[in-house]
Amino acid sequence: MDEYSILVVEDNPDDQVLTVRALKNASRNSSIVVLEDGQEALDFLFGSGSEEPCVNLDLLGVILLDIKLPRVSGLEVLKKIRASTRTDWLPVVMITSSDEPAELVEAYRLGANSYIKKSIDYSEFSDQMAILARYWLTVNKVPKAGSVRQL
Amino acid sequence: MIGRWRLRYWPLKAKLLFLTLFTSTLGIILVSASLIVVENQNYRQRLASELHVIAGILAEQSAAALVFEDSNQLTSIISSLRRIGTIRQVCVFDAAGSLMSSLNPPESVDCPSTIEPSQMGFVGDYYQLSVPVTLDNETVGHLYLISHLRALRAHIQTFIVVVFGIGALIQLALVFVAFKLQRVVSQPILALSGTAERIAQEQDYSIRAPVSGNDELGRLGTTFNEMIGTIEQQNRRILESRAGLELIVEDRTSQLSLANKELEAFSYSVSHDLRQPLRAIDGFGQALEEDCADQLNETGKDYLRRIRAASVRMGSLIDGLLVLSRVTRQPLENQRVNISEMLQEITEELKEISYSLPTDIRIQSGIWVIGDGRMLRIAFQNLLENAWKYSSKEAQRVIDVSATSDSRFITIAICDNGVGFNMKYVNKLFVAFNRLHTPSEFGGTGIGLATVYRVIRRHSGDISAKSEVGKGASFYIKLPVLTDQH
Repeated sequence: MDEYSILVVEDNPDDQVLTVRALKNASRNSSIVVLEDGQEALDFLFGSGSEEPCVNLDLLGVILLDIKLPRVSGLEVLKKIRASTRTDWLPVVMITSSDEPAELVEAYRLGANSYIKKSIDYSEFSDQMAILARYWLTVNKVPKAGSVRQL
Repeated sequence: MIGRWRLRYWPLKAKLLFLTLFTSTLGIILVSASLIVVENQNYRQRLASELHVIAGILAEQSAAALVFEDSNQLTSIISSLRRIGTIRQVCVFDAAGSLMSSLNPPESVDCPSTIEPSQMGFVGDYYQLSVPVTLDNETVGHLYLISHLRALRAHIQTFIVVVFGIGALIQLALVFVAFKLQRVVSQPILALSGTAERIAQEQDYSIRAPVSGNDELGRLGTTFNEMIGTIEQQNRRILESRAGLELIVEDRTSQLSLANKELEAFSYSVSHDLRQPLRAIDGFGQALEEDCADQLNETGKDYLRRIRAASVRMGSLIDGLLVLSRVTRQPLENQRVNISEMLQEITEELKEISYSLPTDIRIQSGIWVIGDGRMLRIAFQNLLENAWKYSSKEAQRVIDVSATSDSRFITIAICDNGVGFNMKYVNKLFVAFNRLHTPSEFGGTGIGLATVYRVIRRHSGDISAKSEVGKGASFYIKLPVLTDQH
């Protein structure tokens, strides 16, 4: 069976490279989609205007969502994902540099599945990504989008 | 006593009126009484002299009849006296003293046989007198006359009624005048006390008492008004300065909250933006180390390790600073915190991380304080980590936690048997970024004790330390003993 794909929403190019590297090391077969900001993520998931969304949600295993994003913040994207029946079942992991308690509380209040503080030590960060990929792509079960709609 | 007490509660008007009336009544009574006494005296004298004149005339007329012992003549003479209502009895005696003729009252009282001089004058209800009857300087007999005093009584009674009637009229007039006049005195006082009451009730110091005249009452009113004016001015000044102070406080508060917001925004961007480059440095360092290992010699790999270690250290510095800023700006919560349990938990965590050394930890049980649990946790975590860290080079690690308390403070002592420090540098202990050991001896950021100090000071407590190089260190945390209500 094919691996799920991972959606990474991360604005910093360095972090994009390092995150993708850590994820690839942990799970070689998964396809990784990288988006630069919140608006791009919304367009990707919901389509922009007349265009249809260009993603098959059934193949999406987990979304790694940075909180601090230009234009539309990670928390706003999370809110929109949870507001639509099309996407509200998707696993969303918030990834952030800060450990502001208020932000942590807000993320869970809005329905995040997990909250991770990016470690400065890259070995630790790589471990975090490996655990994430292993848990969300192989351990965890996610309903297919179609079955969600039927219910 | 009771009367005097009651008088105290009389209104001023009634008191003034009462005093005036009391004085005037007393005067009128005294004047009336003396008038009555004088009138009584005068009337008696007049009565007596009238009777003497009558008796003299009678004696002259009856002298001849006596000489001739003509009883009929005598009787007709004295009968004429019947018409004088005040005469009660008349007796005529001859020289030998035998009764010649008499005029007796209807109740027929006999003439006295002898006449005693002591019974003359006013005796009881009667006035008695006796005159000799003479003819050519020879006494031929005696005339005895008794008058009753009914007329005197009636006269005096009438007089008393008239005098008291006039007195009552005068009193009435005085009441009227006193009623009018007491206003002159009571009006300004009543106005003054009314004004004072209004000022006290309404707290309105712009009210002024009406002032009339330049006597003591007038001056009292003026002084009172001046005093109220002074109070009004002082009140205004107090209000002005309070308004000024409120403005200053408002200004300071808004500046403070602005500064707090800026600090918050600053620490938010610190945690996001300063961390990201560090992560990149460390991440690409490791990527270089792993992906290009064959192109690097040992020196290059050593440099890379140093770069990565430095970025990780910088990361923990940023973390420490963020905690320090958070314990400074976060609002304090007050709850009962069991410090003993908290220390036990921290110890368990430390044992999990590093437990290579025989360790003896003694924590006194049942240490309770009132404070913010999360902040106190940060403080005691730092203190215990320090004790743990600086005793890691001993043969056996000994950490002892105990508490003593008095009515105002509880003092928690955390003692270790570690390397300790030189008391010369005790002042630098609680200042951020000051370290008493080199990184190669013991790692650390130099922010931990500064954070502890901030947490304890925010709890209105204090922290001090005692140590000797090589003989361990003791930290004393003094926290106020508060009740749950605070």
